Amino acid sequence: MKRVKLTVNGLDYEVVVDEDLTLLDLLRDELHLTGAKQSCDKKGQCGACTVLMNGRAVKSCLFKVAKLDGADIITVEGLGTPDNPHLIQEAFALSGAIQCGFCTPGMIMATKALLDKNNNPTTEEIKKALRGNLCRCTGYVKIIDAVKLAGRFIRGEITPDEVRPDPEGDKVGVSHPRPTALEKACGTARYTADYLVPGAMELAAVHSPYAHAKIKNIDFSEAEKMPGVVGFMTAKDIKGTNRLVMNIDDRPLLCEDKVRYIGDPVAVVAALTRKQAREAAKAVKVEYELLPVISTPEEGMAEGAVRVHDDKPNLCFTHPQIKGDAEKALKESAYVVEAHFKTQLNHQAPLEPEASVAYLEEDEDGEEQLVVVGRSINIHKHLGVLQDALGFDNIVYEEAVSGGQFGMKVEITSEGIAGAAALHFRRPVRYVPSLEESMQLTPKRHPYDMHVKIGADSNGRLTDYDIDFIVDNGAYHSNGDVIINRSLRMLSGSYNIPNVKAMAKLVYTNNPWGSSARGAGPPQTNFALECAVNMLAYKMGIDPLQFRLQNSLQPGQSKSTGTVVKEWPFPVVCEAIKPYYEKALEEVAKYRSGNIVRGIGIAAGSFGIGSPGDKAIVYVELEPDDSITIYGAIADPGEGNESMLTQLAADVLELPLDKIRLYTRRTDKTTATGPAAGSRMTYMAGGALVDGCEQLKKAMEECGAKTYEALKKAGKPTRYTGNKKTLTAGPLDKETGQGPAYESEVHAVQMAEVEVNKETGEVRIVKMTTAVDSGPVINRLNYEGQLEGGADMGAGFALREVFVAGETKDWKTFKFPTMDTAFDMESIITETPRLRGTRGGSTGVGEMTMVPTAPAIVSAIYDAVGVWITDLPATPEKIKAALQKK
Amino acid sequence: MNVDRGELGQRYRSLAGFTLLFDNEGFLWEPADWTEEVAIELARENGIDVLTEDHWKVIKFMREFYFAYGKAPLNKQLRKGTGLSIQQIEKLFPLGIKKSARLIAGLPNPRACL
Repeated sequence: MKRVKLTVNGLDYEVVVDEDLTLLDLLRDELHLTGAKQSCDKKGQCGACTVLMNGRAVKSCLFKVAKLDGADIITVEGLGTPDNPHLIQEAFALSGAIQCGFCTPGMIMATKALLDKNNNPTTEEIKKALRGNLCRCTGYVKIIDAVKLAGRFIRGEITPDEVRPDPEGDKVGVSHPRPTALEKACGTARYTADYLVPGAMELAAVHSPYAHAKIKNIDFSEAEKMPGVVGFMTAKDIKGTNRLVMNIDDRPLLCEDKVRYIGDPVAVVAALTRKQAREAAKAVKVEYELLPVISTPEEGMAEGAVRVHDDKPNLCFTHPQIKGDAEKALKESAYVVEAHFKTQLNHQAPLEPEASVAYLEEDEDGEEQLVVVGRSINIHKHLGVLQDALGFDNIVYEEAVSGGQFGMKVEITSEGIAGAAALHFRRPVRYVPSLEESMQLTPKRHPYDMHVKIGADSNGRLTDYDIDFIVDNGAYHSNGDVIINRSLRMLSGSYNIPNVKAMAKLVYTNNPWGSSARGAGPPQTNFALECAVNMLAYKMGIDPLQFRLQNSLQPGQSKSTGTVVKEWPFPVVCEAIKPYYEKALEEVAKYRSGNIVRGIGIAAGSFGIGSPGDKAIVYVELEPDDSITIYGAIADPGEGNESMLTQLAADVLELPLDKIRLYTRRTDKTTATGPAAGSRMTYMAGGALVDGCEQLKKAMEECGAKTYEALKKAGKPTRYTGNKKTLTAGPLDKETGQGPAYESEVHAVQMAEVEVNKETGEVRIVKMTTAVDSGPVINRLNYEGQLEGGADMGAGFALREVFVAGETKDWKTFKFPTMDTAFDMESIITETPRLRGTRGGSTGVGEMTMVPTAPAIVSAIYDAVGVWITDLPATPEKIKAALQKK
Repeated sequence: MNVDRGELGQRYRSLAGFTLLFDNEGFLWEPADWTEEVAIELARENGIDVLTEDHWKVIKFMREFYFAYGKAPLNKQLRKGTGLSIQQIEKLFPLGIKKSARLIAGLPNPRACL
């Protein structure tokens, strides 16, 4: 132990510390300063824990307190508070640089160190200063903007008041800062790991190191002798079904007799500290009997293959789609392209670990109630999952502030373990898994293997599209059938294709299991479609943008599902990007020779919003202080739903923004309004909110009431139920894949400009330009933030990222996007109102933004060097190999 | 050994003279499609030949709660709202409150993913 004196945020401390204690742990666990975040298992990879040490930005996870005698530390809490923020904190809030906010405190501290030395940095200087800080949400564009704005504030060129939109002015179509932006910027927003639960036991899980094995025995004898250990939990200790059910009851909370992928949770250790729990988990000895491993769908479908689930065939789900006569159309086509595409297993990669807290308390009736705090974006669904799995009914689920999700939090992970442990040990528990554990616990983006044929007639009109695709389900089903249905419902993309023939297969393997991942199916199938469209355009000698325009679906024509559309403003985005495209074509001509050459790729997407049978319910209540409370389980893990709700309600009711309150995070008083997924919240929950607000407004107008008191006096209710449901419902036909599709779309065309090194195969994205139309925009900065973050994620999907079980363990091995991989982006936004869109025709944009990115980049690589990389990611090795073969 | 074909999430079937949409667990997709006749048929499928006054008390409370609060009640709310004990309600619906009583009452499962 060592006695150390140091100053934190101006306060003097004298602490006696273990030699191993990091500064991050001192700040978070002992001083309860939770602004500094932990993401990367203290490897110094993410920068979320950045603080100032003697004026220098440092990663607090890398420093031992024992060596910091005399140090002067400033954390984000030391800069300002939401009521009295520092100029840098204001700049981040006003620039739209804060989405999930998990990286924000670290970014702000790195910015402080930079601006203290240089208050007018260039973009390159900003990139250099912040290159150790990771962000998954923004694509870094708005963060760079925020640093520049902070510089202007500090230099006195402009003030926050001059930048901040007038809160009394227009509510919609204006970039009002997010309601929680300053809390995130000042480190006071509470993520799950920030919840203070004194005396809570810490949990660690034992995960399978094998992809497929029988559990023969679990031996805790060594682990139980270790310091601080309180107890253990296995599947036998769970009183309910021990199943975490999305669509199929195949996934155990803790494995019973068998493990099915590397990382499957087998047992849980509870100890006094997290370190003790993790050490003890390593000492648990599990005896396994290895089973044959199904590594690929082909192996899974082979005759005599071992089953991943004894009671289910490995080929567990199929779905065809047949429109017109594809065989005949293909034979008659003047031009045909045939190609094979593959996409990889990928991690969604939110920065925050999969933390959960659970405890028992007395409810208002004195009954025992389990409170589970976690990271769900579908709290009512997950409440039901927990009730069944744990065999306990009286549960409240609370969503903490979430550090990103990108689809994967439609599934339940650590909450099951925490909830079960709180019931088993009858003590409060915290489960803050490491990054490596979080990667093991969570679902991934499904890999697709796609064989494609596409045809066109001599006039350049698409005639036919055939696709057979096999989806690697991984070890558990989750929503694999939904992913396939989403692919089929958007299969023909933006185009009029009269004849379509598809067959989809979903196959269990012993790989990590798939579930929702931004776009959830269409990014994979659209990669194949858009590359194939470009291949065909090149073959026919038609410009790819012109080819898209002339093949755009038109009102009155039908999608691959046979659904006739009433509106289809895809040509609007094609026309909008045209001048940028033409200019880029001129520019790229200058870089066609030499070792480093440039190329341009165009790709499109038409992404469905409002799925058949979707429904949302939101309550709006006028409060005695004449404010409004919105009740609905509408998660906002960074996309901007809180802005959307606040701005829409203020607009309809003509109220100041600060009169709108949100109650969206707990199951006790919210409606079950579905997941914050599928880009559905603006269209569905926003639509329901507007309906509720309009009812309240009408009731007030009818009796001339301007206040709560007047409305009550008039005998009118103060609470109104808003609803929105889609006009059609029902499945696709099982034999033809024909049936209802999404009732609206967001359309986009993306242009990638890339630079390829012919010797090394390395690709640099020079710029991504996105023309997009999802109807009227509610908050432009939030909207652009989705576009930029999505394009950055799409670029990672295209070029770098892949999850390899047992090998991908942290952000470095994952190849997380950084300031170094960031690129210039430009957004061209058109706002064509949609018939059933929210408040003037808005839909949603969060997923579309990455749907065309990978095909645009891969097509740009082809344009630059003449090779098609159809197996993602398009790594330098693959490009180099393809060039050598050429 | 059947390979599932089609969408697990939704399926149509005929009941009480209507063609109704159900989810893969047999819950009505749209609570407004529910009628007392539908409840009687669903009850029969759940092994309940006759819906007694107490059955209806549970069913009606569940529906009132759903339309008032946009979700299914917890057991404690059901108990308070009906005046029946959980044991009594479980006896009325032997296949379970969630799996049977809620299903007969026409309450939808929370949406999983869309």
